[in-house]
Amino acid sequence: MTRSRITFARASLYGFLTLAVASWVYILAGADNGLEDLFSGQAWSNACSFLRQLSGLDAGLSGGGQPAFLDLGRWADTGKLAYKTLLMSVLAISFAGLGVLVTFLPAARNVSNGELGGRPSAGLGALYHLLRLFFAFTRAVPELVWALVIVFFLSPGVLPGAIALGLHNYGIVGKLSAEVVENMDPGPARALRSAGAGNLQMLAYGIIPQAMPQFLTYLLYRWEVVIRTTVVVGFVSAGGLGREFRLNLSFFQYTDVALIILWYLILVVAVDLLSALLRRMVRAG
Amino acid sequence: MIWTGTPKASGLARVLETRRLLTLALAGALVWSLASAGWGGGIVHTGGGNSFKDFLLALFPPELSPGFLKLAVAASWQTVVHAVAGITLAIVAGLPLGVVASGSLGGPGRSRLAIAAGVRFVLAFMRSIHELVWAVLFVAAFGLSSLAVVLAIAIPYAGILGCIYSELLNDVPHGPLDGLRSSGASPARVLLYGRMPMALTDMLSYGFYRFECAIRAAAIMSFVGIRGLGFEIQLSLNDLRFDEVWTLLLFLFGLVLLVDYWSARVRRSLGS
Repeated sequence: MTRSRITFARASLYGFLTLAVASWVYILAGADNGLEDLFSGQAWSNACSFLRQLSGLDAGLSGGGQPAFLDLGRWADTGKLAYKTLLMSVLAISFAGLGVLVTFLPAARNVSNGELGGRPSAGLGALYHLLRLFFAFTRAVPELVWALVIVFFLSPGVLPGAIALGLHNYGIVGKLSAEVVENMDPGPARALRSAGAGNLQMLAYGIIPQAMPQFLTYLLYRWEVVIRTTVVVGFVSAGGLGREFRLNLSFFQYTDVALIILWYLILVVAVDLLSALLRRMVRAG
Repeated sequence: MIWTGTPKASGLARVLETRRLLTLALAGALVWSLASAGWGGGIVHTGGGNSFKDFLLALFPPELSPGFLKLAVAASWQTVVHAVAGITLAIVAGLPLGVVASGSLGGPGRSRLAIAAGVRFVLAFMRSIHELVWAVLFVAAFGLSSLAVVLAIAIPYAGILGCIYSELLNDVPHGPLDGLRSSGASPARVLLYGRMPMALTDMLSYGFYRFECAIRAAAIMSFVGIRGLGFEIQLSLNDLRFDEVWTLLLFLFGLVLLVDYWSARVRRSLGS
């Protein structure tokens, strides 16, 4: 038994190494591998000129003028977009959180098979598998692809982006939260049951109090990831900084691009700090 | 001990206070975000409802003609190639950076800690910029190529792997390490025979999780114009071929499931 186990891990290692070598060979053998570009003087001078234009040292194609990040008016304009980006990320996490709150219980094996109370039934069993499949599917599709699909139905703005981000994160947090319930100590729930508690009371006093801190911690962790992705989703859903980023890039207004990257970093750092504070409160509360 | 009575009560009060504050903050965020989302008319644009119905119905059945399946397999291979190349580069760069950031190697005392802090800052910067933003910047600077995309995946992923690896290396139980040290092992040996073996399982399983993420990242690199599953999804969406979109989405789903299953088996075989 142990032997075969170790063999599987070793075979996986060799399998992955083979895959890695094959991938690198495939990329480097491809015509557009970009290897020459990466090591040619021309490309590096292009890259340097790009950096100079980004930092406003070189006017480039933008027509000159003051760099955007030294212009308070531009800071204020993009600040509004940064606010929208922040709004989109919070909305996305809210959607994901609300969705998970409604569905995570039937998606836990020990709830669906009646281990924690309730009565097992074929319907509940089917619901369990259906929800798990839905979690896996929503999480397998990246936010950006969801956004591409959703802008077909919804008008551009903050909302479609938030729904796309929410869907992907719903799958992730849903799976994690269902696993929290599955790994939970069944003691309190059983004690409540034997004391004659109904299903709703068991839920309120036996399951939720144990699962809630973990659930909130996961949501806050995901919020840190979401704020990084919101900009990218904004590329297609036209909400917040993402759209401006793409527009500025295609109009070669590189100092504006630099300004947006600055705002982006500010948002990332602020959300990381806030999330860390809230997570500490979850642990203390 | 003298019983004063107050510390405990104030501690409890503080906990209650924290909880109330937290509830207030989270509920506030929820209400604020829902209220300012702009629910006013025109959320669904003209014909949006119908195309949504078309989209859902196109799943039955998705496009399964041999020609298209061949295209989907080719696109999946492209995506896997970029993901694997990106994650290998990320591991090759992230592992040594993680070791240095954990502060378990390097010169004596203060300089070692300073280097570790510096590396940690660099890692934080690498991962705070999303892979697609890196890709856009690389393509603007170097032009479109596979390597630009691979680097764009590798940089933020090396930042994440380095950060997590340094934490895992620091979180191992200290008993065995002290044993090694007292028998005269150098810091390099303590790392190699103490920290590494104990953290290996967690490092592997986190690496696999990141591999799964890299597949998604490689799929969305279509946005800068590189071929792969995302590219084909965009093309099919533009042609309003929702049945093709579903086929490609299912291929992506299959890839992620496959990696998920593989990583679960490896973890089980390593006994964690």
